[in-house]
This record gives sequence, C-alpha cells and structure tokens, in this order.
Amino acid sequence: MEALVLPMQNEALRDSLVERRWLAALAAGDEQALGGIYEIYGERIFRYTYRMLGNRSDAEDATAETFLRVLRRSSELRADGAFRTWLFRIARNLCIDKLRQHKLMELPADAQYSGGEDKTALRVTVQQALAELPIEYREPLELCDLQDMAAREAAEILCISVPALKSRLYRGRRALRDKLSGTLERTS
Amino acid sequence: MNDLYRKLVDLYAGGELPAELESEMEAAARQDPALAQDMKSMKRTVWEIQSMPQPEFTEESYQRILMKVYAKGVALQTQSPVPSHLQYQLPMQG
Repeated sequence: MEALVLPMQNEALRDSLVERRWLAALAAGDEQALGGIYEIYGERIFRYTYRMLGNRSDAEDATAETFLRVLRRSSELRADGAFRTWLFRIARNLCIDKLRQHKLMELPADAQYSGGEDKTALRVTVQQALAELPIEYREPLELCDLQDMAAREAAEILCISVPALKSRLYRGRRALRDKLSGTLERTS
Repeated sequence: MNDLYRKLVDLYAGGELPAELESEMEAAARQDPALAQDMKSMKRTVWEIQSMPQPEFTEESYQRILMKVYAKGVALQTQSPVPSHLQYQLPMQG
C-alpha cells in the first residue's frame, strides 16, 4: 500500500512546490509565470467551466478570462494553499455572469461519450438532468462529485458555510435522483 | 424509515460516512425495504454523476485559450510547444 501512496504524495508535494514557485514569480510581477499556472490548472478550469456553461467555445473564453484576471489581480496572490479556491471562485463568477447574460445551459454537443448505446443514452440523460437542476443545487454537485473537491473547499468557492454546502448537496442529489428515477430503474 | 438514517442516505451514497455508521445503516436497511431502496437508488445516482465522462481538454482548446490570452497582450510562456498544425503559416515569397 505504501508503495502506491508515497509516489502520489511525492507528486502532490512536487506540484505544490512548483505552484508556489510560479505564484511567487507572478506576485513579483513576472507575467510569463502565468504560463506555469496555466499548465497546472488550465485543464481543471476548462473542464469546470465547460460543465458550468455547456459548450466548448464559452468554456475556452471563460478559461482564458480566468487566467487574465489572475494576472490583473496578481498583487492579491498568496502562496498559502488558498490559490486553487480563489482561482475556482474567479472561474465560477465568470460562469455565473455568462449564464445570466445568455441563459447558456444546453447539452454539450461535442461532449465525448464512450460505451454502448444504452450507456451513452443514460449519460446524456444524466447530463440533461444535471443541467436542469437549479444552479444552487448543481454547483455543489459539480464541485464535490465531479471535481472531487472536499466540502470545505467547495463551500469557500461558493462563499457559503460547510453546513449550507452539505444541505445543498443533499437536496441536489435527491432532486437528481428523482429526475432520473425512471431511467435508472429501466437500466438497472 | 428511521429519520436520521434517511438524512444520512446521501452521505452514505457519497461514501462520506465512517465505516462503522455505514455498516449500521446497511444492517438497518436489511430490516427496512424503504430505506434499502432509498440507499440503493441514491448510491446509483451518485455513481452515475461521478462516472460522467470529463469534457476532453483537446490540444486545440489548450492552444485557443493561449491565443485568447496572447490576444490581450500577455506574453505568457508555457512548456508545451505549439504543434505545427496550429502555428500561423506565412505565405511563401517569390
């Protein structure tokens, strides 16, 4: 077991050190350090914004704008572990603004689904049901169940308390289960 | 159905309960079909969410995002080189 865990810990530690180095450089005014931050977080922010906005083009815009805002606000940077939370909060605020402007929620047309026909249909149904949830229920599901974030971090991103986050998660999961009940019964 | 267990079903489904409480709920579910059904359907729901495929972060998306940042006048540097098929080509002269 140890042999499996230790390399992962080393990898996390290395990533953390690399992140601190880039953040320190960025805070010192080195604009190019943003590239290093993008290398670390670009994919996660893209996936998050894609899920929030429902299409690739808007997700690319939101991801680019997220990193530009990091640069504009680099004087606020702190390499104390809170950076990821802060970064996701910027991305989240941008997505909320875009959703308010355009009512963008739609099924991702270019999402890649694999597996059999039934499985694909089920995934489309799950995606659709998720997209139809009220935003206050969908966001905790996106962060905790899809981005695999701890409740505390998700709560910080959403600017709510941990109990409020858990309550929304509870309601969101139940609402989704209710929407999917017929489909899940047919495919079980 | 025990009200406390009902409130804990989503934590059970998300694998967020201590092992001892999880076993306790499973034992209770053997005596309570409604609780058992609730736990089963919620676990399936959470599993379906967690196993949703992630949107693919393609090389094209990676580069387009970089281009959008460059377009705002930010000269950031990444470790990955731009693939040749995404580089701007100048027309051949003379």
